[in-house]
Amino acid sequence: MISLRIFDLGIALLYFVAAIQVLAGFLFRQKKLQSLGNYLTVAGFGLHSIDLGLQYFFSFNETLVQGQFYFSLLAWAFLLVFFLLWFRLKLKFLSLIAAPLALILFSSSLAISPKVIPIPPRLSGLWFALHIGTLFISMGFLAMAFGAGIAYLYLEKKIKTKSRLSSFSRDLPSLTAFDRANHLAVTWGFPLFTVGTLSGFIWAAFTWKKIFTWDPKEILAIIIWLLYAYLFHQRLALGWKGRKPAKLAIIIFVLTVISMLGVNFLIPTHHSFKP
Amino acid sequence: MQKIYLFGLNHRTASVEVREKFALTNFNPLKEGLISQDGPITEALVLSTCNRVEILCVGSAALEDVENKVLNTWAGFCAADINLLKKNMYFYQDLGAVEHLFTVASSLDSMVLGEPQILGQLKDAYRKAVKDQTVKVIINRLLHKSFSVAKRVRTETAVAANAVSISYAAVELAKRIFGDLSKQRAMLVGAGEMAELAAIHLLNSGVQEILVVNRTLERAQELACKFQGQAACLDDLQDNLLTVDIVISSTGAPSTIIQARDLKKILKKRKHRPIFFIDIAVPRDIDPDVNLLDNVYLYDIDDLKEVVEENLANRKAEAEKARMIIKQEVDKFAQWLKSLDLNPTIVDLLTKGETIAQRELKRTLRCLKQDVDEKTYSAMETLAQSLVKKLYHEPIMFLKRRTREEENAQKFIDLTRRMFNLDNEHIPENAHKDRKR
Repeated sequence: MISLRIFDLGIALLYFVAAIQVLAGFLFRQKKLQSLGNYLTVAGFGLHSIDLGLQYFFSFNETLVQGQFYFSLLAWAFLLVFFLLWFRLKLKFLSLIAAPLALILFSSSLAISPKVIPIPPRLSGLWFALHIGTLFISMGFLAMAFGAGIAYLYLEKKIKTKSRLSSFSRDLPSLTAFDRANHLAVTWGFPLFTVGTLSGFIWAAFTWKKIFTWDPKEILAIIIWLLYAYLFHQRLALGWKGRKPAKLAIIIFVLTVISMLGVNFLIPTHHSFKP
Repeated sequence: MQKIYLFGLNHRTASVEVREKFALTNFNPLKEGLISQDGPITEALVLSTCNRVEILCVGSAALEDVENKVLNTWAGFCAADINLLKKNMYFYQDLGAVEHLFTVASSLDSMVLGEPQILGQLKDAYRKAVKDQTVKVIINRLLHKSFSVAKRVRTETAVAANAVSISYAAVELAKRIFGDLSKQRAMLVGAGEMAELAAIHLLNSGVQEILVVNRTLERAQELACKFQGQAACLDDLQDNLLTVDIVISSTGAPSTIIQARDLKKILKKRKHRPIFFIDIAVPRDIDPDVNLLDNVYLYDIDDLKEVVEENLANRKAEAEKARMIIKQEVDKFAQWLKSLDLNPTIVDLLTKGETIAQRELKRTLRCLKQDVDEKTYSAMETLAQSLVKKLYHEPIMFLKRRTREEENAQKFIDLTRRMFNLDNEHIPENAHKDRKR
């Protein structure tokens, strides 16, 4: 366990250095520093994957009921989606949000004391895995859409008002690239989110014999799903592009963060990571 | 001691008429007698473009002789008044000439700051001079240096970044909106010089297709032919707005031809794909309210002018950085010039040898560790040092002999410096890839 802990610290350090390099690279317009940061993120991600695999296989029963595992998994899912966007859209820019987010989530996973949540080992069921996996990846998509949305709104305003482009905004990718990130987040993220929410309810029906328990997190999830569905419809059926979907994606991501952190830590809920 | 001289006219010191009169196209320094067996000038290079005419030469004679020779030949070749030349001319000597050449090569002296044509022109002039065999050690080195300085300025400063022409600024904006232009269609409404220029820039940036719309279909077809695009009549404008992404408008219409309220409907039909309007007509062709719509971007001629001015100001700020780089490089060149004398080269050669001897000695000692006593050590040291001295003895004697016997022994000194890499230059692997095998 101790050696795994040191391994964890190593990953956190990698993410930390990567995040600093990416930030500094953008601020001081050093392309080399930026790509070095990106490659360090890749290295961290590789180690992180191994780390998660080890945790899962060697201490299966303990891991799945520990809050820290889920934070770590969430950080991993964010990076996974970031790499996907990097690969598909050549949108390296989002490392600016991916690297620090991964750092924050991963290090908070280390900070949480590994207490066991008193939920029975029924957690290991297929529905539960589906619930967590799909929701985390769709959150990754939302996080990227959030970053892309903010950059889009910033750059769009600059172009519309014909104001001076700073050297920072000159380095930004094009508006279309950011919009495509939003498109991917909607077309991939929404189905995943739907599967994630549904499988949660199905799992609840099996374990608690109750589909809906009026848990604050569940209510929020329904609201998010409705908003997400609206965005999905407007984007795919009416061809919404640009500002509106960008803004909506930002709102949805903020809501998911509230449901993830705020509800888990502040309001009593059975989705809590705390005992 | 060889001296470097530079005589010239440019767009700042002389009017077009004067520059025309003193143009030196197809001037061959050997044929025109600028360089002759016993003349004051040993090397010469001539740069003649529409904005500048310059003669760069090297010689060991006094300034007066060189000046007389150059100006007489120049005025004689152009059959023009030498006094007119003197009145409009500038002159630099030695490091001043080096600095000026570096400044020109980095296009800090160009009419439009940072425009890169001058470097190509300078390369052409150098190629011609090499072909005519009018350049030797110093100008060779000087020109190669000026090319690398220009490259350094280009990569380390933003002096050539960002468009400074209206048509190019429009294309840069389009890239900021669409990114890659290869899937975008552009539409030219009406024709005009600036619109055509923008269309050419767009095509060069890989735009998929250009559609030309004009009041008369004939004229549209004529232009479309030029850009290998399609032609359409002005009446079909609304329909065409459904499929194009970039619109460059420059008609002579007295009022706007594209209205915001019409565009609203079109936007819905085009599923809100972004559209970029460039309105370079006066009076304007496109309703300014169009810019208020989502996913529609409109820049008119004044907006573009402002962008261009900002970019120019940006370049000026960057030019200061470039001048610092040039200063450094001039210093380096000055050192090299000095080293072309015999003595510094001998010193450098021996120093390099001794450094190598010391380094190898240390390495060997590290391998042998404790097995070496005092006596062996000093014997080894002597061995290494005398090896170096013996090895370098013959080349040094050769250089000394040549300097005594020949006027122009610098090429051997230069060769030695390059052979032993005495200036510790980094030579990239592909440095000579453009040379024929």
